[in-house]
Amino acid sequence: MNEIVNNGDNKQTLISVRDLAVHFPLRGGWFAEKHVLKAVDGVTLEIKLGTFFGLVGESGSGKTTLGRALLKAAPISRGTAEFADGEVDYNIAELKGKELQDYRKRAQLIFQDPYASLSPRMTVRDIIAEPLEVMKLTSSRDETNERVREIAAKCRLNLEHLRRFPHAFSGGQRQRIAIARALVSSPGFVVADEAVAALDVSIQADVLNLLKGFQRDLGISFLFISHDLSVVAHICDHVAVMYLGRLVETAPTDKLFSHPRHPYTSALLSAIPSLDPDDRAGGQKLEGEIPSPTNPPPGCTFHTRCPFARDLCRQEEPQLREFDDDHFGACHFAEEFDFTREHGGRAA
Amino acid sequence: MSLIDVENLTLQFRTDEGLITAVDDVSFSLEPGEIMGLVGESGSGKSVTAKSLMRLNPDNAVYGPKSRIILNLDSGPVDVLKLRPGRGMQIVRGGAISMIFQEPMASFAPAITIGDQMVEQLLLHRKVANEKEATTISIEMLERVGISDASKRFGQYAFELSGGMRQRAMIAMALSTRPKLLIADEPTTALDVTIQAQVIDLMKDLVADFGMGIVFITHDLGVIAQTADRVAVMYLGRLVETGTVRQVIKTPAHPYTKGLLNALPKLDNLSAELTPVPGDIPSPLERPSGCVFNTRCSVSLGTPCQTRIPDYSYVGEGHEAACLLLEEEAVKA
Ligand SMILES: Nc1ncnc2c1ncn2[C@@H]1O[C@H](COP(=O)(O)OP(=O)(O)OP(=O)(O)O)[C@@H](O)[C@H]1O
Ligand SMILES: Nc1ncnc2c1ncn2[C@@H]1O[C@H](COP(=O)(O)OP(=O)(O)OP(=O)(O)O)[C@@H](O)[C@H]1O
Ligand code: SF4
Ligand SMILES: [Mg+2]
Ligand SMILES: [Mg+2]
Repeated sequence: MNEIVNNGDNKQTLISVRDLAVHFPLRGGWFAEKHVLKAVDGVTLEIKLGTFFGLVGESGSGKTTLGRALLKAAPISRGTAEFADGEVDYNIAELKGKELQDYRKRAQLIFQDPYASLSPRMTVRDIIAEPLEVMKLTSSRDETNERVREIAAKCRLNLEHLRRFPHAFSGGQRQRIAIARALVSSPGFVVADEAVAALDVSIQADVLNLLKGFQRDLGISFLFISHDLSVVAHICDHVAVMYLGRLVETAPTDKLFSHPRHPYTSALLSAIPSLDPDDRAGGQKLEGEIPSPTNPPPGCTFHTRCPFARDLCRQEEPQLREFDDDHFGACHFAEEFDFTREHGGRAA
Repeated sequence: MSLIDVENLTLQFRTDEGLITAVDDVSFSLEPGEIMGLVGESGSGKSVTAKSLMRLNPDNAVYGPKSRIILNLDSGPVDVLKLRPGRGMQIVRGGAISMIFQEPMASFAPAITIGDQMVEQLLLHRKVANEKEATTISIEMLERVGISDASKRFGQYAFELSGGMRQRAMIAMALSTRPKLLIADEPTTALDVTIQAQVIDLMKDLVADFGMGIVFITHDLGVIAQTADRVAVMYLGRLVETGTVRQVIKTPAHPYTKGLLNALPKLDNLSAELTPVPGDIPSPLERPSGCVFNTRCSVSLGTPCQTRIPDYSYVGEGHEAACLLLEEEAVKA
């Protein structure tokens, strides 16, 4: 596999992932296939310090699992993930005890499903304050309250509601509670899993500007998992695309959106729904059966749905390689394809 | 005859801090085979409006005395808000209306497999002969929402599925009973665009096949543009604009709707700043008097907007908005 080159700004690498795999055992032994589900399989990537790194891809392709593995919240079955922020240097898979505790201060997760992640018996104030209290980051209750109010206001939450329980909030309000909780301790690295998916575009713009501000002013790095490609295009510096547990393409954002090289990326970009009600034709639809991660197709895992698949694709697995500066992809024929796009997507 | 008529729906919550108005005098109706998009600011009352249609709001909810929700079923009209709990509610919850909840984890019991829940629901609501038939229908529905290996997924628990799979399993469950009315609350927040397109096509098929009506709540205006016939826009508990999807997206009339469209990230200029609707979201305890939007409106007329609640003005055929500026224009014209 290619050594990933350090392009341009020579930023220090914060997270370095090599051949990472997360396999879940399948319950029950009644089918003859291998008894694992390969949620993430052989992912290699680097996240530079202070970047906004986007992760997109099909539902079920392993984005959440990868994000959780980087926070040591999903079991790493193979490969390595290293975290080095200049102060500490951790091999994530091996973390335990004091080091794991310390890592939890440096890295935070905003869950995809806020409903499941907010304790129904705690008030919103206590939910947001908990990381500060557990990590003993404040010296008095007043200071804690001050920090809670500050971050809640930044997340556009009404301060008079901090005494309420989460069920009395709307979906988007709950999502902002989860964001406030993750950011209150000013961690260095945040995995934001569909963190703005429930917000209307105006509040979404607000929260995205807030996250961008954290990146710019405090140098916080983000792994931003999202299915909303126009949001990713605006906020991320770098994007990686996943399909069935694998990385199929990664590049700086403008390159990926203007010159996608992998047919899956191209299909994804063309499916962005148009804002024009008179343009309902839809983009290029993906035909063919969606393969299963318990029994992935041989060769290129995308070949069952790829409009360009040839014999080689059915036989040999394409390796991730560099097409040009900092632009990597895993497709046998990527050099032949030119999916150059006028704009980032169909929606103008 | 319309499928559902909502008249003067007002809904308040009793809380420790006092009465909170979540929905304020909202009226709309939905025809069979029609898809109505409901959009608006986070916290503006979309979900609680939707839950009212099935009376699913918690016990601290108080409906206004003039509020009426008329559901026109084959067996005749029913006033949902007048139904007694228990037997009466079974008419409504008995399969005629299905709801896709905003948070998928909330609607799956953690200790029961996806399949068992789907089968149970089908046996309860739809005239299926037996468990075997219910199983076949459920697996077929899972396949139609793009879940691979549906027969294996059928035996898994919600936590074993990815976020988007959970959401699709919920959609499959809601559609499997072939409801007359589907209330879909942010059903695509976890779906990538290709699968989203597939799920939306499926919903449209069912609308065409048996005239299902859909109230489609989403903040994704692209999805609205591709799916809805009509759109209603909410702000702070009020309906501020309604019209066909074309009218509302191409020629929005209310300043809030304009601001919302302006906040969309544009793909032809990636370096452009994202522009939220300016100003602070008012506390529901201190709802602005007059036009609810006046505290954040850049074209507010001042005193008139702070004191008078705007009526709905005619903007075009089937297109209305509640803004004093439009009333003024009408007077001038
Ligand atoms: N059980 C409750 N008790 C008190 N207030 C509530 C309760 N449920 C909802 N609310 C309040 O009612 C308002 C409307 O909530 P609703 O969930 O309908 O918003 P929404 O438009 O669906 O927003 P979102 O887009 O964020 O999901 C919110 O301000 C919310 O805090
Ligand atoms: N705890 C678990 N046990 C078994 N399988 C799991 C578990 N968590 C995830 N999986 C499986 O791993 C695969 C990847 O799931 P993951 O949640 O990472 O997908 P995702 O890319 O985040 O998808 P989405 O966009 O739908 O959220 C799926 O097939 C899922 O069913
Ligand atoms: S009524 Fe006034 S405040 Fe309300 S939207 Fe119109 S101009 Fe703005
Ligand atoms: Mg996920
Ligand atoms: Mg809601």
